[in-house]
Amino acid sequence: MADVVILGAGISGHTAALHLRRKLGRGSEHTVTVVSPNSKWNWIPSNIWVGVGKMGKPDVVFPLEPVYRKKGIGFRQAKAVALWPEGDADDPRGAVDVEYTGQGRAGTTERIRYDYLVNATGPKLRFEATPGLGPDGHSLSVCTADHATEAARSLTETIERLRAGEEQTLVVGMGHGTCTCEGAAFEYVFNVDHELREAGVRDRARLVYLTNEERLGDFGVDGMTFEEQGFQTSSEMWTASLFRERGVEAILGAHVTKVEEGVVHYETLDGEFHALAFDFAMLLPPFGGVGLAAYDAEGGDITDRLFAPSGFMKVDADYTAKPYEEWRAQDWPETYQTPGYDNIFAVGIAFAPPHQISRPRTSANGTPIAPAPPRTGMPSGVMGKTAAMTIYDRIKHGAHAEAHRASMAHMGAACVASAGADLRTGSAAAMTMMPVVPDYARYPTGRDLAATRGEIGLSGHWVKLMLHHLFLHKAKARLGWQFIPE
Amino acid sequence: MTDKTPAAGGPVADLSTAPLPTEDTLRKRRSIPLQLARFAAYNARIMRMVIKGH
Repeated sequence: MADVVILGAGISGHTAALHLRRKLGRGSEHTVTVVSPNSKWNWIPSNIWVGVGKMGKPDVVFPLEPVYRKKGIGFRQAKAVALWPEGDADDPRGAVDVEYTGQGRAGTTERIRYDYLVNATGPKLRFEATPGLGPDGHSLSVCTADHATEAARSLTETIERLRAGEEQTLVVGMGHGTCTCEGAAFEYVFNVDHELREAGVRDRARLVYLTNEERLGDFGVDGMTFEEQGFQTSSEMWTASLFRERGVEAILGAHVTKVEEGVVHYETLDGEFHALAFDFAMLLPPFGGVGLAAYDAEGGDITDRLFAPSGFMKVDADYTAKPYEEWRAQDWPETYQTPGYDNIFAVGIAFAPPHQISRPRTSANGTPIAPAPPRTGMPSGVMGKTAAMTIYDRIKHGAHAEAHRASMAHMGAACVASAGADLRTGSAAAMTMMPVVPDYARYPTGRDLAATRGEIGLSGHWVKLMLHHLFLHKAKARLGWQFIPE
Repeated sequence: MTDKTPAAGGPVADLSTAPLPTEDTLRKRRSIPLQLARFAAYNARIMRMVIKGH
């Protein structure tokens, strides 16, 4: 009998739990337990629509416990705080300390033993990295459904002021020089643009996209090359066209240093410092690991052995420090297994990337200003399933069964940035890239040109809507869920 | 707008040379029959990625 514990119930953790339970069989002796501080699952890509009031929180979340009960998956509403990968004085099996956040046990702790562990804890939203950033400071966020609901309320107020004849400045973007998820901010700014146009107040609004990208279209993946009508074009040109067409201003290569009431302060790559007054600001935070500690069997602190300084977990990546020119696709992990422990995996945002994908840059003052690598829904789901398949094989065929592999330097990703939520008037900028991490040894442009494309139009909006319903169906483990690809 | 700092707010990227879509392109982006075809093409591309890369 094997006990599998999965930390986190986001896209990668939830996917891992469902596939593992499916493969092991509901009535099997093996246990699958999910530990998550949240009682609800959130389809985060649709938070963008919540953030402009096109959807409500109930449209993008659902309670996890009924799904896990139906599937025979254990659920602890708790947050993991420490790992004991070599066991402790009482038991040589690995263990994880958790602190409950619900289920009537909030604040109590438990040590859960495991034979296999999947760390899918996702990011810590590090608003504290920038003074004044975030819903507890002076800016908004769409990272959670609650944050997005608050953003929608503030946007409505801004639109009311515009209707009353006031001019307003709206700033959307990244709240720190090392943020990731530029695609989400890009999508939100065009949803805001769409709302302002629908309200008939766009002419009185100044809409600014404030980003750590050195050029438009970088998206944290070093930009893309598209092939269109016999020419190779860049995602930079494609994105700049959209900004110009919609009248959205762009401030590039920016590190936000602090946010005050109505003013965002930032440094740019040339080392200059600036301030921008705003009436509405949605600025995303940088991500970090959730801050798990790790101990050996004697209680010695081995956190540094398992985790990078960022708090993300080390896996089978090449973490050797080297210049951008020497970065290779092979640096990226394939099995997501933690070095030294063939029963611990870290997937989704929880694993430590070997380096950025975008070219690293610092300002003239030495401030790092470059996007961190994104790990979007599609790769996160694939990683979760990959870890689940490896664990299943090892439970069934022995601990030395070969690990399954899924590198971000092989798999693709789709990014659909919608604008509007109407079936006839909505629009979207839809991109696909493959692979996510460019491989210049395989492709002259780093990526497969047949699969790497960007297009704008109504169809992208339909795709986004389809993905919303498909992935909620899948996450609820409804009929045929396993046939919907990650 | 509240008067706090200069509205210019720093270095705004010059996008004046970015290509603008023509009326025909904008019409195509809204055309239901054409977009149905693009919808099918996009989904085919996603499935290709799933088959080749997952």
